[in-house]
Amino acid sequence: MTVLGFCEWLQALPWASGVKESSWQFPVIEGIHSLAISVMIWPAALVDLRLLGLAMRRRTVSSVTGQFLPWVWVGFILMVMSGAILFSAEAVKCYKSPFFRVKIILIAIAGLNALIFHKSVFGHAASWEKDPRLPWRARVAGACSLVVWIGVIAMGRGLAYA
Amino acid sequence: MLSESFLPFFTWAGTTWLGTTVRDTVWAFPVIETFHLLALAILLGSVLIVNLRAFGVGNQRAEMTMQLEPWIVVSIVVLILSGIPMAMSEPMKCYESYSFPIKMILLVAAIAWHFTLQRRWTQPDAARSNPFRSKVAAGLSILLWASIGIAGKGIPYV
Repeated sequence: MTVLGFCEWLQALPWASGVKESSWQFPVIEGIHSLAISVMIWPAALVDLRLLGLAMRRRTVSSVTGQFLPWVWVGFILMVMSGAILFSAEAVKCYKSPFFRVKIILIAIAGLNALIFHKSVFGHAASWEKDPRLPWRARVAGACSLVVWIGVIAMGRGLAYA
Repeated sequence: MLSESFLPFFTWAGTTWLGTTVRDTVWAFPVIETFHLLALAILLGSVLIVNLRAFGVGNQRAEMTMQLEPWIVVSIVVLILSGIPMAMSEPMKCYESYSFPIKMILLVAAIAWHFTLQRRWTQPDAARSNPFRSKVAAGLSILLWASIGIAGKGIPYV
């Protein structure tokens, strides 16, 4: 089965086409998807800003991540779940949209960036988190995450209109 | 929903330079909306962090409230500045919808609430002496701002 074939099969499923055809289901799920942005992106951005040394400089990195990363996960799970339903309802449109493809690539980059950060510099955070200037890998991870997530939102908007 | 007396204002908005430019430029609306959504993320995220404290959820640091206040003010300004050209580019859609007037009323209420009683009642000292009142103030604040986001999502639909 081709990817396009899978998308056609998916959006023809009764519950997926039901979401598309209902007068209220799509906008309500879209609303949850948008609200989840604020639960996830802003706490994530605050962590990124801390890594860049632009916010909460007097607090250690691990205290900032300890406070905000649980919210990032809650928002992320909400976004993936609501996003999966929205995708199912418009699978073929998404598949054909360049905005959607870039969006998925950007989310993969964001995930990879977070994974590399956690596996590398963050593992020995105790040794550097009190320094006035954080290691370059921590700063790059913060900048990368910030730019990529803004890109994800922009691509999502493009997808809705194109 | 809106009374017909508002119609001339909405008709005029659609004929202005700002309204026609945004409407006639293919990429303008999605780009402006991206900034609108980013500011919404900053605002709602901050509102949640600040107000959930009253319920003992998440952040328990009083100084975070002070640190996030400028972000709240800046994001409200960006939301209004990006919202105006979007509304002016499709004023008839706004005029005919239920969501738009409801959103505007909630917006005025939320701003008035935030800069008056919400601040006073959720202050650390006030929250200690009357925790119930600070919970009501915090809950209402979250409810108001979230409703504005939902009402905004509703403009193209109802």
